[in-house]
Parts: sequence; structure tokens; C-alpha cells
Amino acid sequence: MAEQVLCLRCKQPFVPQKLLHNITQIAKEKDLDKYQHNYALCQKCKSQVFAEQLLGCDLEPVERVKRIASRRSEKIETVKMDTRLGTTVYKSQCFFCNQGCDAVVHVRNGKVVKVEGDPSSAVTKGILCSKGLASKDILYHPGRLLYPMKRAGERGEGKWKRISWDEALDTTAKRFSEIEEKYGKHSVALATGTSRGWVDYFSRFANAYGRQRTGPGAAQCFMPRVTAERLVAGSVVLECPHYEDTNCMILWGFNPTNTSLVKGRGMMEARSRGAKMIVVDPIFSEAASKADIWLQLRPGTDAALALGMLNVIINAGMYDKEFVDRWCFGFEKLRQRVQEYPLEKVEEITWIRREKIKAAAQLYATTKPASISVWLAVDQNADTISTGRAITMLAAITGNIDVPGGNIIPMKINVRGLSDPALTLVNKLTTEHHQKRLGSKEYPLLSSKASLITPVAHNFTLWQAILTGEPYPVRALFCQGNNMLVSYANTKMVTDAVLSLDFFVVADFFMTPTTDVADIVLPAATWMERDAVTNFHQISYNSAHLQQKTVQLGECWSDFKIMNELGRRLGFGELMFPTDEAYFDFLLEPSGMTFEDFKGVGVISSSLTFKKYEVTGFQTPSGKIQLYDQRLEDLGFDPLPSYREPTESPMSAPEKTKEYPLIITTGGRVPVFRHSELRNIPILREIVPELLMSINPKKAQELGIEEGDSVLVESPRGSMEAKAHLTEAIDPRVVQIPSHWPGRNNVNLIMDNENCAPMIGSAQLRCQLCRVRKKD
Amino acid sequence: MQSKKKGLTDISRILLVNLDNCVGCYACEVACRQEHDLTFETKSRWCRVMTIEPRLVKGGLHMDFVPLMCFQCDDPPCAYFCPVNAISKREDGMVVVDEEVCTGCRLCVYGCPYGVMSYNEVKGIAGKCDLCSNRIAHGLEPSCVQHCVGGAIQFITLKEFADWTQGQHVVTVGKVCYTSSKWKLEGKAV
Repeated sequence: MAEQVLCLRCKQPFVPQKLLHNITQIAKEKDLDKYQHNYALCQKCKSQVFAEQLLGCDLEPVERVKRIASRRSEKIETVKMDTRLGTTVYKSQCFFCNQGCDAVVHVRNGKVVKVEGDPSSAVTKGILCSKGLASKDILYHPGRLLYPMKRAGERGEGKWKRISWDEALDTTAKRFSEIEEKYGKHSVALATGTSRGWVDYFSRFANAYGRQRTGPGAAQCFMPRVTAERLVAGSVVLECPHYEDTNCMILWGFNPTNTSLVKGRGMMEARSRGAKMIVVDPIFSEAASKADIWLQLRPGTDAALALGMLNVIINAGMYDKEFVDRWCFGFEKLRQRVQEYPLEKVEEITWIRREKIKAAAQLYATTKPASISVWLAVDQNADTISTGRAITMLAAITGNIDVPGGNIIPMKINVRGLSDPALTLVNKLTTEHHQKRLGSKEYPLLSSKASLITPVAHNFTLWQAILTGEPYPVRALFCQGNNMLVSYANTKMVTDAVLSLDFFVVADFFMTPTTDVADIVLPAATWMERDAVTNFHQISYNSAHLQQKTVQLGECWSDFKIMNELGRRLGFGELMFPTDEAYFDFLLEPSGMTFEDFKGVGVISSSLTFKKYEVTGFQTPSGKIQLYDQRLEDLGFDPLPSYREPTESPMSAPEKTKEYPLIITTGGRVPVFRHSELRNIPILREIVPELLMSINPKKAQELGIEEGDSVLVESPRGSMEAKAHLTEAIDPRVVQIPSHWPGRNNVNLIMDNENCAPMIGSAQLRCQLCRVRKKD
Repeated sequence: MQSKKKGLTDISRILLVNLDNCVGCYACEVACRQEHDLTFETKSRWCRVMTIEPRLVKGGLHMDFVPLMCFQCDDPPCAYFCPVNAISKREDGMVVVDEEVCTGCRLCVYGCPYGVMSYNEVKGIAGKCDLCSNRIAHGLEPSCVQHCVGGAIQFITLKEFADWTQGQHVVTVGKVCYTSSKWKLEGKAV
């Protein structure tokens, strides 16, 4: 190969010497010398230089154009012909994350040829994210699991033998009974990973089986914030900001354009209209870059910030007095509590200047209507219930609950969901079940009957039971869509626990570090290979949506079918459904439709109404917003929200800080990957090729670290590796590492999972300690 | 091509990139690759989002994203480099690569000053943004426009142009117009 010239900027080889010579020659002849400096740059650097020159550094703010971009809208057709591409187009819903964006799938000759956003959707208005747009690449990836397999060598050796579904499921059922006979009923446990429209059914599966289940999302994603919202307002509210009419929005630990596209669109449209925007994030995220006020807090101090803002709003009388008098319970007690959080103290805790906190509180409280949205980040600190409650209270006392432009209580839809015991069979569980569930004593809001969502076992407590046999042995796990060897804190402990199991079954799309150590691997269908009826408040507050099977790959089964068939073999087939469709008919029963009918309609929605509490009251014991909660007091916890310092922090662990001087916050998301998934999709991986640790340039210089250096990140749990990315986006006292990368790049290798938040057991993944050094 | 005064085939239409609204989500990049069958193996990208990393300017932190695609330059430099005259500027303003004529010599790829001409390793020829001409002909906006989460990329007529650029900082290159409400956009236009 001819010798390649290095790009002047990135120093990568990009053009053969001879070609470059020709180019400069032609440029000279054709009088194109003005571009001369560009010819020595590679494609990407030329684009980058253009972008930098275009923007320049001359800041001159002018009034924004207050308009929302118009979008094409179509009428709903669940199946149609596309003459342009010669395809049959199925209306469906993308599920490469857990939310479900309406999408259309183009099929030609039995093959998916294109997946796009659905312009007939009132929810997405035709958009789809990079992950969804890569659906075809994911579907047909050569690494897809297409057949059930059993281990043919030692565990983890990588030797597999293709087997039939019958053999896979018969073996699983047989091994489970043997293990239970030997070790007792609760020695078999279940685990789900991400929710993909079938997690409600997994609750039914677990409850019908009478075995406990866990999941990575339980204690450190979703459940803490939703539990907190339900404690205060009797419903999810913070997950349901009404961007259409909002004039001010707080995005709290939420960067929706990377993770939740529908909310991202709503946010950008509200901003385009001129709505004010406050972002709470220790990192200067994409969302923060669009904000009017960015509150760069010390990781893990969210509750202190919320209590400080409540202090400002209450003491200045900026709350909605009428709403508080009529609809809030325990306001005086909250007023007293927030006196413990004067701004001087909150500034000290959060590192945010008091004037800035005050300005944000004032902007939020005095702009009507105003909304708040919280996401994952608030579920991973030292007291996640207090955090979620305090933030919900901000929305409540300012009168922003269930009003247009505020935070909505989702509408009831005529489709069964997780709150319907006829679906989950939760009432089938006995007191013994509830008491035996691992974590039920320590974390009652997660694992006991007191759970406000659905009780699930606590991760750390489960690993401990597997490793020690205490309080009772757990020897087998059945796991659907869960890459626990990557996704859970303290990878070593999780790996040791899983490797010590007698039997381990995993269903997934691809081989993962977790399937690698399984005994049986089951091939699961992606969203394009299965039907479903989906109904989730994160995507829509008032509608249920259709998913249609378009193709069949290998012997992949839907997760519903896997549960149906395994349930039958485990002896509770009568509590499951004979087919996927029978289950969807059951879900749709309240609507009077069958799945066949629904396939012709595509969507069920009810119109959005507001202030529903005026008719029904809030779904809490007092029928009001509960600022003070007797239920928590009865369980032995603080009935009011408070701030709890992270277990590992410069304040709480000064000795440890000497050895591990940096705060580490993990889990920042990039737009092109979903948790541990999709790094094997080349067109996505090309965009984010490697794991980057964000570190402030000042700190990096102190540590002798340069951009792109390999670094070793250590904690008392162990070490991991990343590439350093020097950025002003982060405080010099903090480093940020995205989670879910495999192998030595897995930040969970160094994260603690033992010191959990009270009441609900969240691992403190956003606020621990570490040290960083250049790798030798 | 017969120009129509209305509809998507209106030749006055340009791609408006409102930099205020780009959030760096890469949906346009992936949408473009899918629409034009630019598989990983082609190593070809017609649309690319560049990031201007967080920087302190006048005491504030700023991070920006700039989606880049062929500008359809008024006097396209790429055409000067082509030894077989495969690249031409059409009357409707589009710069087109004649796939039948292109020999895949890559001079235009390295010659394009903006890095938006792309070599397709599977087809062995050059390619670039054609503003989704096939979609437009069928009444659909370009794929990057449909999938843009922030509404940053729009396909607008001359009439709408005034509404969107009023009082904004504006730089137009060929058929692509960048606007910003904060940066003066002193970039060099062709």
C-alpha cells in the first residue's frame, strides 16, 4: 500500500502521498489555493475545522426566534404499502430502550429493509433516535442468538451445543425442581433486566411461580423516584412533565436527548417557544448546554439542593398558598424541617453558590406553569427516597401538580397494567413469600409488602445469600434480558455469586459476559420479531400502543412465549396464557377490543384532563399531598425528607479521602448505546468508539494526564481502565465515567454495592470515591 | 428538472440548520446512513455531527454541535478536482455526482474543503448528500429533517427563510444555512 500522509491535526494516516500531490497541483492550477490549509487534513478534521471556524468565539447573544419547527404528520395506518420503496410498512414501536417510540418497519420479501420514526404518532411526531434508526443493523447482526444452546464445556469456557426449545425448557424445569427439592423453595430466583414491554408479565410469571425476582433497575433506577412520587402525590408525577404548555422546566439529573427522545423533543420545543430551563447536573451535559441556569452540584447532594430550594420558596412565601391549604398535609412540619437547610449550609454541601440556588428557586416558583423532570441520577445516592420526595414537594407546594404545563398524573387507559392485580397476581403471594423476600427487613419499600410498586428482592442481599447461604441458600437463577455481570455494582461480587450457582439460564439477543457463564442460553425476539400491546407513562401519559411482528429470525421467541412455555413446564401453565395473543386479548379486555381488533387501530388513547384530584383526591392515605408521611414513621424512618451525606465522600470519610481524593460519579449516558447494549453495532460504535473518563484539565495537569491517555481508576473495591477526556464540563474535584462497558472498562468493578440508601436499598453509584493515575 | 413553486420540490428550498437546537444526538447521522444504504462496510458518511467541546467564553461555559452535510456550494471546489467531469452544479442548485461517470479516484474526496464528500468503499465511487432527492420526489422531507429531535434541521422555502433568520446570526453556504442566536458565525462562506 502506498505511503499515507498523516493528517496535520489528528495525526492519523489518511491520504496516499501521490494523491495529495495531485490535489495540491490541481488546486494551484484551478486557483483553489484559498483552501490549501484544508488539504492536509483528514475528512473528519476538515469538518471539525469548518465547524470551529463557523462558530468562532465571538459571543453576541440576540433574541431567539420563538418558533417550533413544523413536522410532517400522517394519518394512522397500521399496515400500508410504500410505493417509493416497494415495501409493506407496519406500524410498530421501537424497543431498543425501555420506553417504546412509535416506529414504522418497512418489509420487502420477508426482510426488514428500513426502520423509521412514525409521522402518524402523536407521541413521537416522527422522530426516532440513533439506536432505533440502527434497528435493522441490530436485527440482522451476525452475532444474534438464533437457537437455544447449552453449555458444552466448563462454565465460561465458550463451548456451546445447539439444542431444541423443548430440551432447553425441560432441562430448566427439571433442574429447578431438583434444586428446590434439595435447598428449599426459595433457592430458585428470577431476574429481569430492562423493561421491554414484557416486564409487567414477568411480575405475573414470578408471582404465579411464587418465587422472588430482582432486577438491576429495581433499587437504583425507577423504583426509588416512582416510590417517592407515589408517597407524596399517590402517582408518578415527576416522570410526566407537561412540556406542551410549560413556561419553565427543571431537568434534574436528566439529559433527555441522550436517553429519552420523546422528552428530548418536548424539552426542545418548549425551549423553542421560550420556556425557561434549569438543569441540575454535575456535568455540563447536552441539556445543560441549552439551559438558562445550570446548577452544577456536588454528586449525590440532590436532596440538600431540593431542601434548600424548598427553604427559599417557603420562607419567601412563593408557594401556592391556596393549593397548600386545601391539598397538602403536613406543611407546617415541612416548614420547620426546611429551616434546617439555610442556603449557607446548602451551598457548603452542594458546592452551588447560594445566589444561584436562590435564583433557580425563584425562577421556578414564580414562573407559571412550571414543570420538573427527574430521571435515573436521583435514584443513585445515599437517600433516594428523601431526594425524590423533596423534589416532588417542590412541584406540589408551587401548585404545579396535574395542571397544564406542570407535572401530570397519567390518565387511566382501558388497558391492563402493572397496577392491576388481575394481571400481576400479586394477591397470590402469601405472607411467607413477602417475609422471605431478600431485603424485606432492611429495605421495606423495595422488598416487602409495603412496596408501592411491586416488591422485588434486593440485589446485594441476593448476592450475599448466593455466596454465603444466609439467610437461606439461593442456587439457581432464571434471567431475562439482563447483563448482570456488567450492569451491577461490584462486578467481582456479582461474578463470584453467579459463578457459584448450580444452574443459570439467560435469555438475550446476543452473547454477553452474562450469557458467557450461563448453563443454558435462550434466544429472545427483538421488538421487530414479536407482537405486543404497550402502555408506559414514560412515553405517553394517555395512550397504549401497538407493536407488530414483522419477521421471524432463527428460533427466536418473544419473552412472553418463553414465560408461557416455561410456566407450563413448571406446573403453573393455567396461570399463564397459551399464546402471546391470548395475553394481549386479556390486556385489552377493558377496552372491549381483541388484539386482532387492535391491529386495525394501532393506538388507544384517552384525552388528557387536569386537576383530576379535585374529583378523586390524591391516591394517598390522607387523600392529599403528603409532605409528612406517617407510613414512613411507622416503618421506623424519617417522615420528612432530609439530606444524607454519601457514605463515601470527602465530608463523611475524610480518612478514605486522603487515599481516594476524587469523587466519582458513574452512569452518564451517550446517545448511541443503551446500558450495556449496542456496542457491537459498528455504525453506532463508530460514533463513540471507546470509554472516556471526563476529568477537568486542571486536575489532569496536576496528575500528569493528557487527552487520550489510558488511565487506571482505583477504589477500595479494585481498579478499572478508561481513556482520559479533558473537559471543562466537570469540576476538578470530580470525575465521571459512563457505566456498562465490558471487561476492564467496566466502572462497576470499582463501585460499592453494600452501603445502600435506607428504605429502598439503592447503590450509591453517583457519589463514591476513587483515585486516578496514568496507566504505566 | 421542472421546478415547482410549491411543495417539497420547490427549488428555493434549503436546509436550515438552527445551531441553537442541535443537541448532538446523532439521529441525523444514523438516519442518513440508513436512508442511503451507507452500511458500515461502505465507510461512507454523508452527514456528520461535529462537537465543539465545552469552552469558557466571557465567563460562561458553552458547548455546541454542528451537523455537516454537503452544502451544494455555488461554485463547488469538488467539481474542479474531478478529472472526468462527473460532478456538476445543476440548475436547481444541486451539486450532483454522476455515478456512471465517477471512476472512484477520490480526488474530490480529498479536495472538498469541508470533508463532506465521501468515498463509498463498497460501490467504489464518491457520494455525498443529495438532500434525499428520492424522498423529496415522493413528498417526504430529508430523513435527517424528519428524525431531528431538536428540530434543528429543517427543509424550508425562501418564504419561510425570513421568519427563521430574522434577527439571527446567519451564514449561508450553497443550499445550507446555519443560524445561531449567540455566536456571530464569522465563519468563512464560500
